[in-house]
Amino acid sequence: MIVKKAYVETTDRMLRTLELGFLNEEEAKNFRFIPGQFCELSVLGKGEAPFGIASSPTENGSLRFTINKAGLVTTALHQIEEGSEIGIRGPLGNGYPIERFWGKNVLVIGGGFAFTTLRSLLVYLLHPENRPKVKGITVIYGARMPGLLLYKEELATWQERSDLNLIVTVDWGDKDWKGKVGLVPNVLEEVAPSSEDAVAVICGPPIMIKFTFPKLMALRFPYERIYTSLERRMKCGIGKCGRCNIGHLYVCKDGPVFNYAELEKLPRDY
Amino acid sequence: MIEQKIRDIAKDLLAKKTVDLVIGFGEGTLPLRVTPRFIRNPEKVDRLVWNSFCENNLATYVHKLNRFKMALVVKGCDARSVTALSLEKRFQPGQIIMIGVPCQRMVDRRKVSRSVTGEILQAREEGDLIQVRGDGFEVSLKREDFLYSSCQACTRRNPTQADVMVGDPVEESPLKEAYHEVKDFEKMSPEERWKFFERETSRCIRCYACREVCPMCYCSECFVDSSNPKWIEKSFSPSDLQFYHIVRAYHQTGRCSGCGACERACPMEIRLGYLTQKLNQEVKDLYNFETGIDAEAPPPLSTFQIDDQQDFIK
Amino acid sequence: MKFRLDKKDFRSFLQGLIEPYELFAPVRLAEGVSAYQKIDHPEEVDLRQANPQKPAKDLFFPQSEVMFRYEKTGKQTSTIPAEEAKPERVLFGARPCDVEAISIIEKVFAGKENTDVYFLEKRRKTMIIGLGCNHPLSTCFCSSAGGDPFLRAGSDVFFIDLGEAYFVESLTEKGKVFQNNPFLREAGQKDLILVKELEERAFEKVGFSIPIDGIEKRLDLMTESAFWDRVHEPCIGCRICTYLCPTCHCFDIVDEGDSQKGQRVRNWDSCLSPLYSLETSGHNPRPTARERTRQRLMHKFNYYPKTFGQVACVGCGRCILYCPVHFDIRKAILWTSSKRPKVF
Repeated sequence: MIVKKAYVETTDRMLRTLELGFLNEEEAKNFRFIPGQFCELSVLGKGEAPFGIASSPTENGSLRFTINKAGLVTTALHQIEEGSEIGIRGPLGNGYPIERFWGKNVLVIGGGFAFTTLRSLLVYLLHPENRPKVKGITVIYGARMPGLLLYKEELATWQERSDLNLIVTVDWGDKDWKGKVGLVPNVLEEVAPSSEDAVAVICGPPIMIKFTFPKLMALRFPYERIYTSLERRMKCGIGKCGRCNIGHLYVCKDGPVFNYAELEKLPRDY
Repeated sequence: MIEQKIRDIAKDLLAKKTVDLVIGFGEGTLPLRVTPRFIRNPEKVDRLVWNSFCENNLATYVHKLNRFKMALVVKGCDARSVTALSLEKRFQPGQIIMIGVPCQRMVDRRKVSRSVTGEILQAREEGDLIQVRGDGFEVSLKREDFLYSSCQACTRRNPTQADVMVGDPVEESPLKEAYHEVKDFEKMSPEERWKFFERETSRCIRCYACREVCPMCYCSECFVDSSNPKWIEKSFSPSDLQFYHIVRAYHQTGRCSGCGACERACPMEIRLGYLTQKLNQEVKDLYNFETGIDAEAPPPLSTFQIDDQQDFIK
Repeated sequence: MKFRLDKKDFRSFLQGLIEPYELFAPVRLAEGVSAYQKIDHPEEVDLRQANPQKPAKDLFFPQSEVMFRYEKTGKQTSTIPAEEAKPERVLFGARPCDVEAISIIEKVFAGKENTDVYFLEKRRKTMIIGLGCNHPLSTCFCSSAGGDPFLRAGSDVFFIDLGEAYFVESLTEKGKVFQNNPFLREAGQKDLILVKELEERAFEKVGFSIPIDGIEKRLDLMTESAFWDRVHEPCIGCRICTYLCPTCHCFDIVDEGDSQKGQRVRNWDSCLSPLYSLETSGHNPRPTARERTRQRLMHKFNYYPKTFGQVACVGCGRCILYCPVHFDIRKAILWTSSKRPKVF
């Protein structure tokens, strides 16, 4: 695919969003995906790495990925210029089980740059065709500092919406920050959304999940209605190379989205 | 008997809580083999054994377990590795107690297996003999015909740096000339040497057993795994295999105790001793330094003094 | 069809295979070390070792394999698929454990979608001539793992050493090619009786002493057992057991070259290496040898059976023979059962 647009998202310059365009109409038409799926992006000569699709299937024409600069491939993706070609394999993975969200209240909890696939999910749910199918949508999105929030312009437009309760919080504010300051688990406790007829989707760094999870338990969300998207080192992305398994399931093929009832039955390898 | 003494010392150390853990050798499921044993309970010390097949260098476990106070059963070469590691500050002073066993020279189990036709199902050491038995055969072999090449040339069989000695010291009378493997190698012409090295390393399957058994290989990121900078590729290419072995030998210069664990671990039986021993010989000639003998002498290639000899800089 | 091949004709028989096919057979690399390699002359074949170090999986799933090449001309990058296995191949002398292992790997690499074409193409183009084990080693436990020293399944043709001759059985469509081979005569009654004797003797030697049966269910209850805290201790994390194991099939994918020209290669990898699951963030879900040893044993005896209905171990015993610290997988298996030994 071609890199149509590339821009840095965060003030620490570690997160860069790439908007990729298909090379021809036919490829664009044949690429069907659901929120929560991921793709393997290649920089030939450096390697390949998995990234959650940040754009929604309702946004036609291009795919959006937000890349965290951490290693060889991601550094190359940070340096790539607009107009260059990169390789892509996908869509891979199982995606969010959206049919289970219809008719329910949806609680979305995101931390840091794990918000990518959550953006895909939210844009999808907020689409006029889909919004009526779910009841209330509550989103709690936290980052360490205001400069590290993703998709800031979009978040601002979402705050204006009446069909969405969006709470953006930061661990440490700055002199310009007028929003909430507080850790995600505490904000969740404060907002205390009802677990009745609701599903929860939580994505974030392990430490955030570790402290948020008990709060979800306190709100009486049952395991089978809490979904998360797991991350693992991946290579093939299609369940052959054996790397990303948890028990007999592969994160790339049977995941990356799992509900906690499934995870309970698997060995604690994550 | 040495075995009983090892058990008694281990029991004493564990019962008095002088150490949390004793690492020694235990009986294997196959004849001619032992396996490293990790004893924490003073009642279980009878699992420790001692025989001529205790060929592993247990110092390699120091890195994984250096948050515990431990006692290690060491031979001459193993004690030198531990001393070398202490100079490289791989563990706190006083954290390791060495239970030193003057080495009777280890037996090459592969050579024993190959001297008979058929599989050896039982083996027993009796003094200077090894009695082996298999399906339809029973043979008495002389121990001294089957010693490891590195053991035959060893001049440091007594672990003099050990905290506790088990048994009386043995005579340091090598059966073969020191560095004899290097001398055999040096007799070859450069072309022959390259052919020999190429042939040996062509069998390599990059299993890295030589690296993992070696107590001196403890880098958290080995150069072969580094992707930035990428020194060698991960795929199977003869030049990369050769590069790996040469560089690993160089990283051992002045640090290798000659314990032979690398050769003994290799499933493809690649000869490796001559590479490290050549470099050790040069360190001895240039700096009069042998690994792990003096617990105070800093390793020459890891230290710098203003008055270091510079005559090799042209 | 059952034939007899006199040993004096063995080399000629092999020569007859070298021309039309690419013939792979055990070759001695050094004393006590052999591997399956392509041979050009029948004299290279060496069957003295019970089982070569490098298993037969190397032919179908090579240690390093180029998946595709790429080249950039201007702004366009083109990818060139790797060359397909061209001629038909024959694998001679694979023991039943190695042959069974190939079908274990095949189950993972095949599949309704995302089939591994590299592996399957090679598999399709290879005729397997298996070789029965007259003298299983004490480390062999194929029968406990669902196989046996003379298991024919998976081989197209099966050889059994009768001493002065080989018994040759043609088993599949591919194997029918030997129907009119000039060196094969019809097997006689005496040959068939000898085959039966050898089979019974070998079968008795291997026995069924390792309790693999039911291990999946036993391990279900052991994911957090204290057993894992002890079993990993001697393991130094090399890759010998994984690389020499005929069923292990995990691989790594790397790019070689630069932005202009290069290739994407897959290489064998091992779950026992700390880097295997190390994420770029630094988080490692399997940080110590405890988790990694658990992963390897559970994968073989619990995760793989859950998906495919059989254990991913064929009882070849290579891991026992070549482990530098003498880790014995049989002890680990026994420990999960009521036949638990007192000492691990």
